Amino acid sequence: MILVWAAEAVVLVLVVLGILVEAPLALAGTAAAGLAALVLVRVRPRLRAALAGAFAEHPTAALAGGAVCALALPFALRASPYWTFVATLALVYVVIGQGLNLQIGTAGLINLAGAAFAGLGAYTVGLLTVSAGWPAWLAFLAGPVVAVVVGTLLFVPILTTRGHYLALVTIAFVFIFNVLMNNLEFTGGPQGIKNIPTLRLFGYAFTTAPTVLGIALPAHANFYFAAVALAALATGVIRRLHDSWLGVALNTLRDDEIAAKCCGISIARAKLTAFCIGNFFIGLGGALYAVMVGFVSPPDFDFGYSLIMLSVIIIGGVDSIPGVVLGACLLVPLPERFRFLHEYRLLLYGVVILVMLLYRSQGLWPAAVRRYR
Amino acid sequence: MSLVETRGLTVRFGGLVALDGVDLRVAEGESVGVIGPNGSGKTTLFNALTGLYRVAAGTILLGGEKVGDLPPHRIARLGVARTFQSSRLCPNLSVVDNVLAGMVAARRTGLLDAVVRRGRVRVEMREAIARAGHLLGLFNPELPARGWERVGQLPQIDRRRVEICRALATRPRLLLLDEPSAGMNPEETAELMKDLQIVRDEMPGLAVVIIEHDMFVIEGVSQRVIAFNYGRKIAEGPFAAVAEHPEVREAYLGKDTVRA
Repeated sequence: MILVWAAEAVVLVLVVLGILVEAPLALAGTAAAGLAALVLVRVRPRLRAALAGAFAEHPTAALAGGAVCALALPFALRASPYWTFVATLALVYVVIGQGLNLQIGTAGLINLAGAAFAGLGAYTVGLLTVSAGWPAWLAFLAGPVVAVVVGTLLFVPILTTRGHYLALVTIAFVFIFNVLMNNLEFTGGPQGIKNIPTLRLFGYAFTTAPTVLGIALPAHANFYFAAVALAALATGVIRRLHDSWLGVALNTLRDDEIAAKCCGISIARAKLTAFCIGNFFIGLGGALYAVMVGFVSPPDFDFGYSLIMLSVIIIGGVDSIPGVVLGACLLVPLPERFRFLHEYRLLLYGVVILVMLLYRSQGLWPAAVRRYR
Repeated sequence: MSLVETRGLTVRFGGLVALDGVDLRVAEGESVGVIGPNGSGKTTLFNALTGLYRVAAGTILLGGEKVGDLPPHRIARLGVARTFQSSRLCPNLSVVDNVLAGMVAARRTGLLDAVVRRGRVRVEMREAIARAGHLLGLFNPELPARGWERVGQLPQIDRRRVEICRALATRPRLLLLDEPSAGMNPEETAELMKDLQIVRDEMPGLAVVIIEHDMFVIEGVSQRVIAFNYGRKIAEGPFAAVAEHPEVREAYLGKDTVRA
């Protein structure tokens, strides 16, 4: 148990140092320390076995330790509202990534319209609050529902076709979504929707900077904690679904539709289920983004973001639930850390995906065999 | 009453008649061999029976009910299971997962159970995994212990067994085996014949239809043989009689050989 917590503490310290350290030499030192830790675990089979055994033996302690680390992060980042925001954004990508991974990884439904479905969630929040005057929470919940409904209405005929038709149609859908958002009057056109009201909990606005245990945190910390909760929810729900009959059915039809049919699995129903659940979480991520930033506009949901979402899955590990968390937490902050990379962000993602597909196609945290525990 | 009956079953691909007015009956618990040269319509028969191909004319009755127009997954749920000539297992999934695929359709817990009533799912999964282990153990006592390995790591004969287990997991009334000995050496084929005998012994009510090129297997496991050529049934009866049938000899050996 101590070993589990020690490992998690080391990761937390390295992450915090990696984010906050400014001097190039210190940053290089942190990176070297991180690499050294990875190499050490890799070349010392006994250490690796001890770690793996400890995590397998104390899953609850590992989960609790992870939660403590996640909740402790904003305290370490309290001097930097910007990094609190980036950390929150990474968690938004965890929510989206889990939904998308159920579609792409588990069911083999290549959905390249992640940005559009997230956009549907976000725009729904914006329109319902600003134009229709709905309460923020109600609009926030309506966001993912709209993503599911629109996805179902538009994609039912295409879901059952095989091959890459779905991928092509979803690409088209992102562009249509963008053109519509840019040109429709009621969505605000290129200006988007401004002043989306924030969430309030018992009269407490999420935009007020909180003070926890006497420590003042930046305002974004509220959203960070909310995002931790939603990321945990998405990960937990998807993990449970993956570890049930749905996971077996989807994996089987992904690998061989004919075999799945002959096992009595309804392809259409299983695919629609995966598509809807996936879009729910993608829409939820978008809705969270909208209330967090308070502003949505078309460029926030263009095709490039679909590709980022896809990269999160490929880098983490296709069909791997912990992989999505790892992928999002690596891929979102990294370009922010190295600002000179920012302009070449898509290029960077492209290179990373190419390298991953060539040398480690199973991802950084490959999907394990389902154990039904 | 026969379990399966086809009347004038016809399947066409454009101008090609792949199955031409086939009448056949298989009774409960019966074991039937299907032989014929390549392209004679044997696999097409299986694809029609499982709903993968559309029936152009004729009827398929399963337990007296018409099933010709049902989609494959509905037919499977009515108790028709099959294996394929080239393996259609999911090599990256575990052995257990591959067998569980056959039990998905009969699941008792749904999505809501999976998320919030985890206990029920755990109980059901434990039962299902135990049943998968039992099925695997029928054929090879070492297979259940390898249940969490990926199926692609198993040797060929065990992969074929897993595929048969997946089919049996659906609790079928009719089992269709499409050339199970394909790609096997003589020792493996002998093993396979033992496995098929185990299926017959363990599930006495199960009707088994088997396509084979290996006449040894056909002779060993089938009570009755049906021979196909050019999509038509050309002979039917006990193995010895069908093997001697002039049209069958002609189909396999050519006209001149028969005359000589």
